[in-house]
Amino acid sequence: MKISLLLVIATTLTMGAATVQAADKGAGETLYADACAQCHGPSAKGMASFPSLAERDADYITSRLETYRAGEKVGSNSFLMIPNATDLSDDDIANLAAFIADIDD
Amino acid sequence: MSQKPWSQQPSSQQVWSQKTWSQKTSLRPLAAFIASAAIIGFPAIATANNGPELNQTEVLSGLENPWDMAFLPDGTMFFTERCRGLSVRLPDGEVEHLLGMEGTDDYATTADDLVCEGQAGMNGVAVDPDFDENRTVYVYSASNMSEPRTNRVLRMTVNSDFNEVADRTDIVDDIPYKPAATDHPFGDAGAHNGGRIRFSPDDGYLYVTTGDNHNSELPQSPELLGGKVLRIDRDGEAAEGNEPPEGFDPRIYTYGHRNVQGITFHPSTGQPIVTEHGPWHSDEINALVNGGNSGWDPRPNMAGREDCPDDYCGYEPNQTEGMDPEERAAYMPVTDFETYPDAMQPAWGNDGLSQGMVATEFLTGEQWGDWDGRLLVGFMGIGFGGTPVGQRINLIDIAEDGLSVNDVSEMSLPMGSARFRSIVLGPDGDLYTAVDEGSIYRISPE
Repeated sequence: MKISLLLVIATTLTMGAATVQAADKGAGETLYADACAQCHGPSAKGMASFPSLAERDADYITSRLETYRAGEKVGSNSFLMIPNATDLSDDDIANLAAFIADIDD
Repeated sequence: MSQKPWSQQPSSQQVWSQKTWSQKTSLRPLAAFIASAAIIGFPAIATANNGPELNQTEVLSGLENPWDMAFLPDGTMFFTERCRGLSVRLPDGEVEHLLGMEGTDDYATTADDLVCEGQAGMNGVAVDPDFDENRTVYVYSASNMSEPRTNRVLRMTVNSDFNEVADRTDIVDDIPYKPAATDHPFGDAGAHNGGRIRFSPDDGYLYVTTGDNHNSELPQSPELLGGKVLRIDRDGEAAEGNEPPEGFDPRIYTYGHRNVQGITFHPSTGQPIVTEHGPWHSDEINALVNGGNSGWDPRPNMAGREDCPDDYCGYEPNQTEGMDPEERAAYMPVTDFETYPDAMQPAWGNDGLSQGMVATEFLTGEQWGDWDGRLLVGFMGIGFGGTPVGQRINLIDIAEDGLSVNDVSEMSLPMGSARFRSIVLGPDGDLYTAVDEGSIYRISPE
């Protein structure tokens, strides 16, 4: 009984971990639409004072969001990005990076 | 994301109302009465249900930061793209690229002095009231022909085939431009650049809106043209009847502005009405009074303020973190009635919020039903520290004296939210809007 319960828990945890590793583009798309699209544009090509993200890869997006999340300034729009990134989880960043990296230029 | 208690719209609405009330009671009993009437009658922003159903057509897509449009009576539409230049869409849908900026190669003429940086580039466009006779158009653009760079108003003629421009004359060449980055939000070069140009149908003069460049000396400067609304003739000379204070440049119609990027004219009184960006609080609609001061003065070491980053207090007392817009307004008011008791009274302060109020136009014509005569205001949307982003077009019933609003509602648009950079009523009576996303839409009532 105990063993089977542990198995279920272990399996669930493993599945969760696998999901994180693969990143959830759908969740990234939802988060992008809510938090990013107003400035970077619905297709991430940038608008006005806000840069294009469409050609960026996942490593770049992850690095920048982690930098902003740490409260470090990069560029003149840091005052907007730092508060936006403050509450992002590692999963949020991975999902956003996966979604943005997949957008066609 | 954490939500601050003051980020909710109703409390923010009270922020501006209370500020207005307290200022007017101490200064002007009549103004106080008007302000209190506005508070009592002030509705919450909500989707207006008493207007027509709207249809939407995407007139142009794939544009790069379209900034402004100007129409001929047959529907010919001149339009600017901020980093590309001036083009025209003919009634059959064909597009001709007329005047390109530095780095473009697909325009009939390329002017390498016209440059794009930050918020600056090619901005407003206007058609001469006598276009049929003189085939003249005007644009506002940043240029490196002078050192340091300036913004200019260019006048030029368009040939009969609408595929070339000629006879460029820079009728204004000394509108300040922000030359280098500073330690401010949106602090890149080219910031707070103004740029809307419109002919008044009432007096026939060209009105030019400018910005403060994050330079605290500009708004109240008698000589420098930043933070102003200019009123000039078609040669760039001061219009007859301008009444700025003694010693001011005679081209100045109003001063003490922060960054005016929308201007239109009241359909019955002819009074110019502008929209002005606020500093994370209080975007303003102002009905202009000849020679008036809009009351923006972000200089350090005055009005209770001390030193500020790069000598500009415009985002103080705190330019890097969110805080109550009411506290911001108390410390750095957009219209400082304490320092300038005779400053022009704003008609509306966007419920105490700053959301990128960038464009304005009157909606006229019976086809708009109950909306006929409403002032439209376009927002690009910007949120900071928990304030709502607010991408939308508002319908505003502005009092005829321009000192208050009777009603504020929101247009329910088929395309949803977008950065509504320009809104212009076309000769067909339809509404046209350019959005930063790269399209120009036609919005028609059913």
